[in-house]
Amino acid sequence: MSRVSENSSQASLRHALNRTKSKMEDLQLKGSTLRSVVRPSDNPLSSVEGLTLKSSRADNTQFQRNSDHALLSLNVTENAIESLTDILVKAKEIAIAQSSDFYNPEVRQAVSNEINQLRNQAISIANKRVGQRYIFGGFNTLTTPFNGKGEYQGDTGKITVEVSKDFFIPINLHGEEVFFTADSLPAQQENPLRNFPEIENQLRDDLQELPDEEIIFGRELASTSEQPFQTRENIFSLLETLYTALNNDDPKLIQSTLERFDTTIDRLITLRTQVGSLSNSIENTRNVMDAENIGKEERISQLLDADVAELFSDITKQQAILQTTYKSSQGLLNSRLIDFLR
Amino acid sequence: MSNLLNIGKTGLDASKKSLQTTGHNIANANTEGYSRQRVHQTTNTPISKGGLIAGTGARVVSTNRVHDQFVEKQLTQSISNNDYHRTRSEHLAMVENVFNEIDQDGLNYVLNRFYNSFRDLANQPENETIRSVVRDSANLVSKDFRRIRSSLDQHARQIDRIMETEIEDINTISKRIANLNAEIARLEVGNDTAPDLRDQRDLLVRTLSESFDVHTYLDEKNRYVVSAKGVGTLVSGTEVQELAVKSMARNESSNNMDGSYEIVFKRKPGFSITANFEGGRIEALAKTRNEDLRTLQDRIDSTAFEFMNTVNAIHRRGYVNRNVEANVNGEFPSQDRRGPTTGIDFFRPPEERYNAANMIDLSAAVKGDLSNVATALTPNSPGDNRVAIAISKLQHERIMAEGTSTLEEDYLQMIGRVGIEAGKANFDFEQAEGLLAQAVNMRERISGVSIDEETANMVRYQHAYDASARVMRTADEMFKTVLGIMR
Repeated sequence: MSRVSENSSQASLRHALNRTKSKMEDLQLKGSTLRSVVRPSDNPLSSVEGLTLKSSRADNTQFQRNSDHALLSLNVTENAIESLTDILVKAKEIAIAQSSDFYNPEVRQAVSNEINQLRNQAISIANKRVGQRYIFGGFNTLTTPFNGKGEYQGDTGKITVEVSKDFFIPINLHGEEVFFTADSLPAQQENPLRNFPEIENQLRDDLQELPDEEIIFGRELASTSEQPFQTRENIFSLLETLYTALNNDDPKLIQSTLERFDTTIDRLITLRTQVGSLSNSIENTRNVMDAENIGKEERISQLLDADVAELFSDITKQQAILQTTYKSSQGLLNSRLIDFLR
Repeated sequence: MSNLLNIGKTGLDASKKSLQTTGHNIANANTEGYSRQRVHQTTNTPISKGGLIAGTGARVVSTNRVHDQFVEKQLTQSISNNDYHRTRSEHLAMVENVFNEIDQDGLNYVLNRFYNSFRDLANQPENETIRSVVRDSANLVSKDFRRIRSSLDQHARQIDRIMETEIEDINTISKRIANLNAEIARLEVGNDTAPDLRDQRDLLVRTLSESFDVHTYLDEKNRYVVSAKGVGTLVSGTEVQELAVKSMARNESSNNMDGSYEIVFKRKPGFSITANFEGGRIEALAKTRNEDLRTLQDRIDSTAFEFMNTVNAIHRRGYVNRNVEANVNGEFPSQDRRGPTTGIDFFRPPEERYNAANMIDLSAAVKGDLSNVATALTPNSPGDNRVAIAISKLQHERIMAEGTSTLEEDYLQMIGRVGIEAGKANFDFEQAEGLLAQAVNMRERISGVSIDEETANMVRYQHAYDASARVMRTADEMFKTVLGIMR
C-alpha cells in the first residue's frame, strides 16, 4: 500500500484535470472552426497536401479565366474568317457570272463597284478589334494591321495562352496567314520557357529530354493541308485583280481569278476548322477542369475539415470524462479525518 | 520516585517535541519543496541499581526529514526533461504560427496570386490596369517574404533575451545554493541535520534543473557540488562559477546572426559554451535558435533568392511596353528618354543569398514606371505576351534544391517539416509531462505531508502527552502519600 499525501493526490488530480481540459479545449477549437487541421502540426501531411490542392485550385480558376479569354478571341477570329469567306464566295459568284461573254462592259463596270465595296469590307474585317486589340496584327496589336492599300503592318507573332497546366493554345491568327499565305498554326505551343535558354539550360533537364521530333511531328499533323496552298494568295490583290478585270472588261482575266478564289476559300475554310478545333479542345479541357475542381474540393474537405459527427461525439465523451473527474475528486478533496474527530 | 517524575518529564518533552513537529508539518503542508519531518526518539541510557537495570525514559535524538535521494534525482531529471520539451513545444508553436496558412493567406497564397497575375497579364499584355495588379501582387509577395524573415529574426532575438534572463537567474540561484551550503555546514554539527535548509537547497537545485541537466553530490561537509552536464562545475561548496552572455558578431555566432548572444563563463569570456548545455530550457532555446530557426532563415533566404533571380533572368530579356524608335540602322536603342528599354530587373537584384528574404523589393524601374513591366520579347510588340507567360510558367519549374523541386513544393515541404517538428515536440511534451507528474507523485508520496496522518499523529502524541502528565501526577501523589506517613 503506498502512502498518499495531500500534495500527491493534489498533483495527480491536477494532472488528470489538465489533460482532460486541454483535450477539451482542442476539441472545442476544432468544433468552432469545424476543421480537423487547425495548424500544420495537427497533421503535417494533410495540411501540406491541402495547401498544394488549394493552390492548384487557384491555378485552375486562373486557367478558366484564360480559357474564357482564349474562347472570346478565337470566336471573334472565327466569325471574322466566316464573314471573309462570305465576301469571297460573293465575289466568286460575281466572277462566275461575269466570266461569260453574256454581259456588256457597262454592266461589268457597275458590278466592279460592288467588288470594290467587298474589298473595303474585307479590309475592315482585317482591321477588326476586340477591345483595344487588333486581332489580325500578330504581336503588333495596337496599330491598324492593314492600311488602305491592303499592305500588312503587323508581324507574324502568335499569342499563346495557357488554358490548363502546360497546355498552351494560340489564340490569334496573324494577318499574313489569313490574308496572304498558307502558313499553318500548330495545335499546341511548346513550353514558353524555350524562349529563355538561360533558364532552360540551367534547370530544364526534362525539357531537353523532350524530343524535338515530337513537336515537329505535331506541327506536321496540324498542317497536313499545307501542300495545296503552296502558291501564296493575297485576298486584297485578288479582289483588286477582279476589280480591274471587270473595269477593263477582260473576261479571260476574270476567268483566271476563279481558280484562285476556290483555293483561297478552301484555305479559309481550313483555317476556320482549325480555329474551331482549338475552341473545341479548350471547351474539353474546361470540362475536365470542372470535374477536377469538384474532386479537389472534396479532397480538401476530407483533408482539413472535421468529421462533425465524430467531433461532437468526441466532445460529449470528453465532457463525460471531465464530469466524472470532478465527481470522483469531490470525495477526495472535501473530507478529512479531522472532520470526524470532534 | 524522583526518577519516576523524571521519566514522566522525558515523556512529556518527547511528546511535546513530536507535537511541535506535527504542527510544523501541518503548517508547511503547502510549502513548496517541503519534506515532512519525523522526530527520531530513542530510550535513555538505562541505569543499574542494586543489580536491577531500569529504564530512564525517552530522549529525542534528532528531527529528520523523510527523503529519498534517488527519487529526488529522478525528479530533477524529469524536471529537466519536461522543461526541455515544454520550451521546445512552446517555441515551435510560435514558429509554426509564422507559417500557418490553413485559415489565412500566407506566402504560398500570395506566390500563387503573383504567378496568376502574370497569366492575367499574358491574356491582355496591352492592359495597363493588369500591369498595376501584377506590381501589387509582387509587392504582397515581397511583404510576405519580409514578414516571415523578420518574424524568424525577432524570434531569435527574443530567445537571446530569454537566455540573458535565464543566465541571470542561474547565477542568482548558484549564489543562493553556495550561501545555503555555508549555512548548512555551520548548523549541522554532529548528528543533527538542518532539514528545512536542506529542503530549500533541494528546491533550488530543482529550479536550476529547469534550465539544464543538473548533477549534484555531497562533499565531506554536506555541501552540494553542483555541475551542469556537459559544461562543468557551477557551485563547489561556497564557490560560484558565474555564467554570462556575450553578444557575438555574425561570423562567430552559432546562428549566423549579428549580435546574437552566446553563453560563456564569466572568467573565460572568449569561449562559447551555448551548445554544451544538455537538457532543460537552455538546450531547447539553443536548439530552436541555432537549428530550427536558422534552417528556416536559410531556406526562406534561398527561396527568395531563387525566386528573384529566376523572375529577373526572364524579365531582363523582355522589352518595355512603350514605343521604342528604331535608329537609322533599324536597330532598337537600349536606352530611351524614360530609361533602358530592355534588360530591366523586376526585383532589385539580391547581392547575396544571406538575408535575401529581408532585402526583397521591386526594382526602382518597376516601382517608378509601369511600362517597365516587360511582357514582350521583341520591341514595339504590345500584344507579345511571351515574357509574361514564361514568368508565370516558373511556378511549375524545378528551380529549388538544385533543380529537384518547384518553389511551391520546396516551401510546402518547409511547412511540412515545421509541422512535423512541432507535432513531435507536442507529443514529447505530453509524454514528459506524464513522466514528471509521476515523479512528483512519487516524491510527494514519500515526502509530502498528509493531513490525515498528521491528525492521527496529533491525537497519538496528545494522548502520550496526557499519559506522561498522568505519570507525573501519580509520582506527585506518591510523594504526597509518603509525606503523609511522616505526619
